[in-house]
Amino acid sequence: MQRRTLLATTVAALATLSMPVLADTNWPERPVRILVSFPPGGSSDLVARLLGEKLSASLGQQFVVENKPGAAGTVAASALKEAESDGYTLMLSNLTPFNVAPIRFPDTPYDAIADFDHITYVGTVHLGLFAAPSMGVSDLAGLIDAAKADPGAYEYGSSGVGSWGHIIAEQFQNVSDTELFHIPYKGSGPMRLDFRGGVVPSIFDAVPQNLPAVEEGTAIPLAVTATERLSSLPDVPTFTELGYDIVAENWLGFSAPVGVPEDIKTKLDSALTDAMALPEVKAQFDTWGLVRAPKTSEAFSEYVSAQLDQWTPMVKAAME
Amino acid sequence: MEMFANLSLGLATAATMTNLTYCFVGVFLGTFIGVLPGVGPLAAVAMLLPISFYLEPSTALVMLAGVYYGAEYGGSIASILLNIPGTPSSSVTCIDGYPMAQQGRAGVALFATSVASFFGAIFGVIVMVLLSPRLAEFALLFQPAEYFSVMVLGLIAASIVSSSGVLRGLMMVCLGILLGTIGVDVNSGDTRFTGGIAELRDGVSLVVVAMGLFGISEVMISLRGATQSYAGQTLRGRDIYPSWGEWRRSFLPALRGSTIGAFFGTLPGTGQTVASFVGYALEKRVSRNKDNFGKGAIEGVVVPEAANNAAAQTAFIPTLTLGIPGSTTMALMLGALMIHGITPGPRLISDHPDLFWGLVVSFLFGNLFLLVLNIPLIGLWVRLLRVPHYYLYPTVIMMICVGVYGISNSLTDVWATLAFGVIGYVLRLFRFEPAPMLIGFVLGPMMEEYFRRAMLLSRGDPLVFLERPGSAALLGIGVLVLCATAFPVKKILTNLIARKGTA
Repeated sequence: MQRRTLLATTVAALATLSMPVLADTNWPERPVRILVSFPPGGSSDLVARLLGEKLSASLGQQFVVENKPGAAGTVAASALKEAESDGYTLMLSNLTPFNVAPIRFPDTPYDAIADFDHITYVGTVHLGLFAAPSMGVSDLAGLIDAAKADPGAYEYGSSGVGSWGHIIAEQFQNVSDTELFHIPYKGSGPMRLDFRGGVVPSIFDAVPQNLPAVEEGTAIPLAVTATERLSSLPDVPTFTELGYDIVAENWLGFSAPVGVPEDIKTKLDSALTDAMALPEVKAQFDTWGLVRAPKTSEAFSEYVSAQLDQWTPMVKAAME
Repeated sequence: MEMFANLSLGLATAATMTNLTYCFVGVFLGTFIGVLPGVGPLAAVAMLLPISFYLEPSTALVMLAGVYYGAEYGGSIASILLNIPGTPSSSVTCIDGYPMAQQGRAGVALFATSVASFFGAIFGVIVMVLLSPRLAEFALLFQPAEYFSVMVLGLIAASIVSSSGVLRGLMMVCLGILLGTIGVDVNSGDTRFTGGIAELRDGVSLVVVAMGLFGISEVMISLRGATQSYAGQTLRGRDIYPSWGEWRRSFLPALRGSTIGAFFGTLPGTGQTVASFVGYALEKRVSRNKDNFGKGAIEGVVVPEAANNAAAQTAFIPTLTLGIPGSTTMALMLGALMIHGITPGPRLISDHPDLFWGLVVSFLFGNLFLLVLNIPLIGLWVRLLRVPHYYLYPTVIMMICVGVYGISNSLTDVWATLAFGVIGYVLRLFRFEPAPMLIGFVLGPMMEEYFRRAMLLSRGDPLVFLERPGSAALLGIGVLVLCATAFPVKKILTNLIARKGTA
């Protein structure tokens, strides 16, 4: 632990030296809240806690994780919008409250783009289509053939109506001209239990949490929604590779209410970038299956808007 | 032989100085946090999760597990002394524990709780050691149809535990189920009964309902003076040992409770609550002392506590052997492993046998610590009751508000808790008990979810509940329990009529 502190302090010192512009702001002078739209214990919560700890070490103030789960993440995002834009309230932003919920719930009390400063991109998790061994298929073509032979006979599980798994599954059925039977769950845990118990023969679920089952042979990965193959599943093709235009990224980032002073944004972004460059953070992200690609603040902002444009028709189609 | 190898490996991990210390720290903090009204095992584990980042994975898990069952135990203290259960399962303990406290027998109730918890936990650990891998497979045999039938059984049990009559019990269960329908409907994704309030999209929070119905309403009742104040009674703090007769009467109930608990604990998500209620309901049927249930029968404390703690231990089986969390608290435990780069999954036991068996053995130590820690503390807890009302009750209300706010960071929840306090007060004025309502609230939505999922899977054929043997058996038990309840009611009625006739 001492070594970590030392490392973090060194990094912080280097960061301060290399960027004299940072001297302009005294932020943070008191503890900073990081809102998390998930209950404690999940991998996104752990990302916030891990980075919060590194930020506390490098910026000399406590970064406190505050879990505000609920209403598809909109409870946390609404709270973020209401907060002062002084850099003392941040949120671990992600796909659902910013790109899915505003379209699903027209009464969402914020504008995902105009009301926020999307500051730092953290990384993304991809979705995969997994089949149970009992289904007897080993690749996507096999599943499509089976589904075409017997429309509506095969079930797929998702972690809920309007979840990204459900939205992508609906899109998959559209582009592959198949019909699967939807079994919605309340979250991924109960779904994976039923999947393993042979209740549902296929699931659309985030890749990382299913890797142990893949290794065990109880889940057969058919395709992933990334733009290129994942290092954790190098033998599994992407949907695009197989000719189906399906890409889905559950991204994570740091966002704040709109209007945070430029110098604070710069300081936060560089502190986060340094933290994510630490070998132990990288290693941890790898085990959690978080795919990291550096993006500047501007690029991240544009990315969030582009994602919103990409998801809008998909969400509408799935919720019809 | 393999079993002994496992145990000795576990002992080697659990009996290190560090792990023993953190095990003790865990149960100690767990007990004290769990005593606070409004703070259950989930909140206690969440609070201490960050500490575990600095520990070795096995130490972290041992400590968090200690916090978990320590808080479970601490919750029963508040249930017995103040009628404020921290979890739905400890609301069963209230049914007889609180009357015992009112009769000045709080010490005995707490002692019985300690011993029964210990008994149940050890029973659960033995089941884990003997059957872990096989039990995980068994849990997987449970499909939506079986889960539905378990819920039905749980709700039947809940409606007959009420001491104010089955009809009132059923009404409260139904009210709870109705309350549970608020929020997003799983199958359509549409919201129901939220009145357009975004916070209600995920339903009313359990802590809000439990703390309002029990905690706040209890304070209001005591202000009104409707229940006899017991704070003024001279409590014989040292007189905590049950009589020989009570010891003897408690053994079989403890065994039955533990068996039921160990069984239901392996079912992810539902175990503890159903176990306590079913255990209590069964005991109320078979006990010779059934007439005293609800009026301070020691068996009424022993059974749910034994069941609840046996379930708390066996709940680790599906979580650790499959790597899929059965409840939010278990998700936190797995989170503690993930932060150390250990991916929970089916290979956890084979890849990290020291971790798994170390944890199992630490349960033995932890429960022993709990016993040793708590028996001397009983006197202290009982003395809490001597605190004058004008200090005690404002403190309780404040702690409930802080606890509720601390869990959700939402002021709306605090107001909702106070509102449920008023509802609970009115219900209790008319002799409706809150415990069946709470379980209806918890199990109702799950029952609906599993019912509809089973119906989706069978494409709308309701016979699925009878065709699957497990489901049919559970429903059969439910029907039997209902019949068994109906008959004594008849007997009482005929007695009454006969008495009126002779009078």
